[in-house]
Amino acid sequence: MDQLILSGVLVIALLSLLASGVWVAFSLLAVGYLAIELFTSVPVGQALATNAWSASTKWSLAALPMFIWMGEILFRSRLSEDLFGGLSPWMARLPGRLMHVNILGCSIFAAVSGSSAATAATIGKMSLPELKKRGYDEQMMIGTLAGSGTLGLLIPPSIILIVYGVAIEESISRLFIAGILPGIMLVSLFMGYVMLWSALNPSRTPPAEPRIPLRERLKASRRLIPVLMIIVGVIASIYFGVASPTDAASLGVLFSLLLSWFSGSLTWKTFLDGLLGATRTSCMIAFILAGAAFLSVAMGFTGIPRELASWIASLNLSPYALIAALTVFFVVLGCFLDGISIVVLTTAVILPMIDAAGLDRIWFGIYVVLVVEMSQITPPVGFNLFVLQGLTGRNIFKVALAALPFFLILMLSVVLVVVFPEIATWLPQQMN
Amino acid sequence: MRSYLDHLYRISGYIAAFFLFAIFSVVIIQVALGLIDEILLVLIGKAFGLQISGYARFSGYFLAAATFFALAHTFKEGSHIRVSLVVQHLPEGLRRWVEVWCCAVAAVLSGYFTLQMASLVHDSYRFNDVSSGLIAVPLWIPQTSMVIGLVILTLALVDETLRVLLGQRPSYADAEGLLDQTSDETSDLTHR
Amino acid sequence: AENWDMPTPYPEGNFHTQNIIQFAEDVEEATDGELTITVHSNGSLIEHPEIKNAVRGGQVQAGEFLLSLLANENAIFQIDSVPFLATSYEEAGKLWEVSREKTEELLAQQNLKVLYAVAWPPQGIYTTEKLQTIDDLSGTSFRSYNNTTERLAQLAGAVPTQVEVPDLAQAFSTGRVDAMITSPSTGVNVKAWDFLDYYADTRAWLPKNIIVVNQDAFDALSPEVQEAVMEAAGEAEARGWEMSMEETKTQTEVLAENGIEVYEPSEELRDSLLEIGETMSAEWAERAGEEGQKILDAFLAN
Ligand code: NA
Ligand code: NA
Repeated sequence: MDQLILSGVLVIALLSLLASGVWVAFSLLAVGYLAIELFTSVPVGQALATNAWSASTKWSLAALPMFIWMGEILFRSRLSEDLFGGLSPWMARLPGRLMHVNILGCSIFAAVSGSSAATAATIGKMSLPELKKRGYDEQMMIGTLAGSGTLGLLIPPSIILIVYGVAIEESISRLFIAGILPGIMLVSLFMGYVMLWSALNPSRTPPAEPRIPLRERLKASRRLIPVLMIIVGVIASIYFGVASPTDAASLGVLFSLLLSWFSGSLTWKTFLDGLLGATRTSCMIAFILAGAAFLSVAMGFTGIPRELASWIASLNLSPYALIAALTVFFVVLGCFLDGISIVVLTTAVILPMIDAAGLDRIWFGIYVVLVVEMSQITPPVGFNLFVLQGLTGRNIFKVALAALPFFLILMLSVVLVVVFPEIATWLPQQMN
Repeated sequence: MRSYLDHLYRISGYIAAFFLFAIFSVVIIQVALGLIDEILLVLIGKAFGLQISGYARFSGYFLAAATFFALAHTFKEGSHIRVSLVVQHLPEGLRRWVEVWCCAVAAVLSGYFTLQMASLVHDSYRFNDVSSGLIAVPLWIPQTSMVIGLVILTLALVDETLRVLLGQRPSYADAEGLLDQTSDETSDLTHR
Repeated sequence: AENWDMPTPYPEGNFHTQNIIQFAEDVEEATDGELTITVHSNGSLIEHPEIKNAVRGGQVQAGEFLLSLLANENAIFQIDSVPFLATSYEEAGKLWEVSREKTEELLAQQNLKVLYAVAWPPQGIYTTEKLQTIDDLSGTSFRSYNNTTERLAQLAGAVPTQVEVPDLAQAFSTGRVDAMITSPSTGVNVKAWDFLDYYADTRAWLPKNIIVVNQDAFDALSPEVQEAVMEAAGEAEARGWEMSMEETKTQTEVLAENGIEVYEPSEELRDSLLEIGETMSAEWAERAGEEGQKILDAFLAN
């Protein structure tokens, strides 16, 4: 009961702070402070400092600013324009046309980056101005980016699968492999939705660019080569064992700098603008991450997530009912905490339930990622929403509304993975 | 005074950018060294283990410095995210007080954060805490970068609180996104 | 009644964590609930590198960490990780016996009271090719994460390659590293058979996890409760070492069951490794100074 009142107080405090316009990072810090100060005897200042230090100096986090910087460089060069110019003749007959670049771009990028914020930020920086210029529907633009940005977590490599794999002592490579089919499924669902939507809303799709013969099309495709070289270079550096994800991100920056230099669009000014832009965006995300990490540690001290999870455990539900209850639990928690925190705070309590219910741990990992991906696009605390608000200047609820169909598709994919667990388990089983 | 402060925020942003560039440089040099080793192994059958010891650790420290030095600059440029849906629909008079509230809350939190970080630095210094792993870095050094960044942020927030209190337009209100600003929250502040 | 928060670095299923959970239950039972301990495993509350300082500052009352993590503070903390110095449970126990007092003294300067320490299973070398002699390591990328592993790799003629824990699986499966030295437990945890084929049971060293409490938090307890804590700690230490031995046996078997070839190093390989060990012992003694030499002498004397 205490926990319930406490949770209520904290949720109301967070909502009031956010609604009154206090910056997200500060709101999270304030609520973390309240949680510890009011409900534990832990020295709150010390907890804040220790946590800020360890959350802000993570090696795996260093990939984020590098990817964002790469997006800034490409945005300022002609390369992103070339990408869309080269692709557009090929997509002319596909309903939704260049809108699919958001989804495919995010899924290719997800194979390089382990975080969804980096995925949405990098692709968004390149594609938003191009799509806007070509007259695509704004809401759909934002929605596809918010939705497919979450692929960063599902398609390997994935920070959250690493965190989960370490917690359950399961093979991380197996978890990575298990993410592939659900990732492809989600990409198809997203693309299917875009096609359906475009077919139903022809008035909100820009007129098709004139058809051009194959030879012209191939000629136009030459413009794709530089960008493809970057993508192939970065992916190859990871998969041939030269680079860790952060290394690969820095290589991406190097390639982008070199290419925009050769193409003549790199000047001292564009270089500095790009670097400063990346500095600001990554500062914004890292500061919110620090606030979220502090709130998460505060939750650890108060024990709320643990208690909630144990309460679910005490209900002794059947496997399907358990999954349904956990989905509600994760979605609600996901509105306020970031995905990785949820996994860290609750696996110790949830895993015994999973084992008792006879569910496969690898399958559960994929399920968790899908559910946690939703938390990236649910207000008030959703990282992809913050990233897109930063990019577009549109307020968070507008962004969240645009992302709603993709939230529902994620929900559908959870149902599919529950009904057909083989989607997640078949590939890793082939490894034996 | 005004221009001194604005210079300070901007310079602090440049320092942050420098640290971001430092991450890039360290990682690229490390990758290059590894590549040279691979090539040597093929050519002369021997690698030398060329590398920057503890480069991952250094990148982490640079990242913290980049994040915290950038805080004030990012704030002034309006790049920190907030929910302005309610604020934008308030009548102008009330809205000013809400902006004062936002800045003041942030200033108090930032001030508290600064003191606590400074106390962490003091502890690290007193106990001679060093990093674990390949290189023993005294922890107070990278931690100090965070304190300096927070001091500048606190200054910027106090500065902003006073400005808004005196009836000036908040400087963070000029931010623009990639999509043009027509019907959105930041624009009506701009056009005030 | 008093409640302590106790962060630990390893997952719930790890034998160290299991031992600590048992310790917490023992304390609760022995004190009739006067003192309860909430164990936060897997770095979920405080991350590994910060645990010591969090206990020191009183943010949490107790905690566990890998003792040799403090090697850069004082070389004494690293004695259990000098390669080929103590290579069996018996020797590791002796080494802890002779170094315990100095370790406690050093940690007491940071307001930390030592409850107990438990050894990890001995460290062996995982590779993609079977090692016949030390020359087979020449030119391989050898995972290093601290100065011991880096120096060991260098002396063995391998290329020390830094790989952080989050990058581990990927680094091995893409061939960025092709050898590592760690315990059978860690090998099983990361499912080493997914990317490695051979395990040389070199028993290079037995690192320890240490369990500490904040001295002020301990002093605030009543004498009866203090006594109950120390008693439970003594039991946990004895139980932990037993568990560790059992762990070595079962986890080495798990490695074999999953297709890793477990083998004893050849005479020749063993000799080369011992030679490296001697070099590193000498280097350690130099770093650790007079105090270190005293401990080393006491260990070698019996
Ligand atoms: Na990914
Ligand atoms: Na959310």
